[in-house]
Amino acid sequence: MRGRSVVALVLVGFVLVATGVIWRRSYGSVRAREQQRLEQQRGALEAERAKLEGDIRDASSRGNLAKMAEEKLNMHIPSDSLVIYLKRAPKAKSPRDPH
Amino acid sequence: MIRTSRVGLVHAAFLLFALVLLGRAAQVQLFQTAQWRTKAKKQQLAASPLPAPRGMILDESGAMLVESRQLVRLNIAPREIFGEGKKAAATGPRNLTALANALARLGVSKEFVARSTDTSRTWVTIPGRFLMGDVAAAVAMHGVHSVPVLERVPPANDGLRRLIGRADDAGEPVDGLEKALDGVLRGQSGHTALLRDAKGASFDSPSLSASDARPGETVLLTVNQTLQDIAEKALGDAVKHSGATGGDIVMLDPNSGEIRAMASRRADPLSTSATALTEPYEPGSTIKPFVAARLLDLHRARTDEVMNTYNGKWELNGRKIEDDHPAPSFSLADVIKYSSNIGIVQFAMRFSPREQYELLRDVGFGSPSGLPYPAEESGRLPTPQRWDKQTPASLAMGYALNVTPLQLAAAYGAIANGGELLQPAIVKEIRATNGTVLFRHKRRVVRRVMTEETARVVRGLMRGVVEGGTGDSARLATFDIAGKTGTVKRTEHGKYVAGKYTASFVGLFPADAPQLVILVKLDNPSSSIYGGKAAAPVSKTVLEAAIAARDASLDRRNLAAVPQRVEATASLPDSVVQADSIVRVTESGSVPFVYRLDSPNKLLPATVAARAVPDVRGFAVRRAVYALHRAGFRVAISSGDGVGPANATSPVAGALAPSGSTVHLLRAP
Repeated sequence: MRGRSVVALVLVGFVLVATGVIWRRSYGSVRAREQQRLEQQRGALEAERAKLEGDIRDASSRGNLAKMAEEKLNMHIPSDSLVIYLKRAPKAKSPRDPH
Repeated sequence: MIRTSRVGLVHAAFLLFALVLLGRAAQVQLFQTAQWRTKAKKQQLAASPLPAPRGMILDESGAMLVESRQLVRLNIAPREIFGEGKKAAATGPRNLTALANALARLGVSKEFVARSTDTSRTWVTIPGRFLMGDVAAAVAMHGVHSVPVLERVPPANDGLRRLIGRADDAGEPVDGLEKALDGVLRGQSGHTALLRDAKGASFDSPSLSASDARPGETVLLTVNQTLQDIAEKALGDAVKHSGATGGDIVMLDPNSGEIRAMASRRADPLSTSATALTEPYEPGSTIKPFVAARLLDLHRARTDEVMNTYNGKWELNGRKIEDDHPAPSFSLADVIKYSSNIGIVQFAMRFSPREQYELLRDVGFGSPSGLPYPAEESGRLPTPQRWDKQTPASLAMGYALNVTPLQLAAAYGAIANGGELLQPAIVKEIRATNGTVLFRHKRRVVRRVMTEETARVVRGLMRGVVEGGTGDSARLATFDIAGKTGTVKRTEHGKYVAGKYTASFVGLFPADAPQLVILVKLDNPSSSIYGGKAAAPVSKTVLEAAIAARDASLDRRNLAAVPQRVEATASLPDSVVQADSIVRVTESGSVPFVYRLDSPNKLLPATVAARAVPDVRGFAVRRAVYALHRAGFRVAISSGDGVGPANATSPVAGALAPSGSTVHLLRAP
């Protein structure tokens, strides 16, 4: 009787361990598929981000904006006489400067 | 007894079975490990390659020019869509309709929608590439297969596309910088390990080892996108309004040799290269300042020296030479200002053929600039042995040689920076993916081609071109420009064609301490054939836009300090009148008053960089001369009995010698 109990316990233990292993593998597979799906989603979003950034660059490029500003807002590029470069004033000496 | 023996037999059988099992397990586990492991891997694992994205290409300020992005291709299996079995009769047509709608929303042509829903086909590849987000609904359908692909997004500018080149669908570079810098831009592919389940579906396993793809390095170009945009627009407008068949604009920083913009236009749709590098042309009168510079350097002429110009018509060796601005005589300054052919030919007759050849060779004509562009042309500069009696006069007028727009702009850079020919650069930096700088461009002097004083004088002569000379229409209201116009007959099939010209203008902005060299070339313009009328105004348009732009790579502090012209039609304040001034009367009658602001940019004495003499021992003489010349030295072949290859140099190989100094080459007996 004692021997049979031991055998039964060993068998139950084996079944439990096997079940645990199989469950872990199944759980791992499900998670791996989920991870793969998320990776693909991330890749898709990255690609979309790159496309949107490119669209923003094109839309805000000088070629595009200058054309629109000239046609729709009647703006023009100023001649050089309308542009004044100011000379930067020399840096004022700090009272803490030793010299 | 019998019972005992039967039980013992059964026990023995079990024991034997157990031993066999144990033995087989030992064999599999201990002795056939590798074999079974490989077999299991084959069944359960799959490796999926991970393509590496090519490196990004940025402009000098870090703005994105070219990048790779991941898209997908779609493959359709119509029979899988329709399905199998009894249910397929009901659901199949519905699935095909849903697919057709999904493809139509993606903009797929009707032809391919029809093919994709034709169940007699097994596999249909949809042309084009799509964002994964756009095709997510379609990919969720059974029978729609997506294949990730990396796409290289080209720059928006035509000129930059020509310069940077393309990479094909497989990511292989085709031309341009993409090809030349492929070793840097190409990344390192990786792979991911996939687990296969019982149904054959595969998925990533985080527990398995995989190697990530390593993207290519990032390349920062010297190009400034704002200047590039300005140049592209100005060139496009100029080509359209002048009726030209094409044109080029090159802008470079004469103090570093860095190319800031390179715009190209061609009517020919088959022309896809950066024509400023690949299509040499006869530079015409834009060559004249170099002739004047060498004459001044050799003390063979003075700027005020007057030459008889025969009222614009003269004959030399049976060839008629004419000026567009006829006058009985011109000083050397006026020869440049009014682009007198007769004057410059007579001045150039003071050179020996060798001297005339060397002056053109020294400014970089006839040799590739060394830019990393696969198809760069070296131009054509015939050696004196191949000259006929007309060649010296032709060369003085900018005929009989071909130069690329970049070569000419780089040569003008020497006039702008005080006499040093710099190697043009297009790559500013190369950065690793972690931000480490792997390469940074450093200013490289090829050789000194004129003294600093001569460069200053020649800039003064060129200033006259823009102030009342042939390039007057390039003149800005506030800043002084130095420039030179060129109008040259075009050749087709080796012969000059009547009525076809190339109009060009090269400007230095500003005339004092130039920050930009701008070259404008228009091919075969119909509105006006003259460089001063067709090309010079384009230079003005570009410079005005650059001055007004916030980020056009100009040093504003220095621009604020250079002398600026103030148009004064009313009385002038005393403080201004008493300033160190130059007053000129212009054709318009207004009196432009130029007053000098304090300039902090006092020119420092020229420092000639010393460099090592290359070891050319054993080289054929031609190769040795070429190597020494490329290293920035002048070469003199010492007369002697030697007829063999290069034997020694003086100074010896490895010794430091000033750039531009003469290295004597001795030949082996």
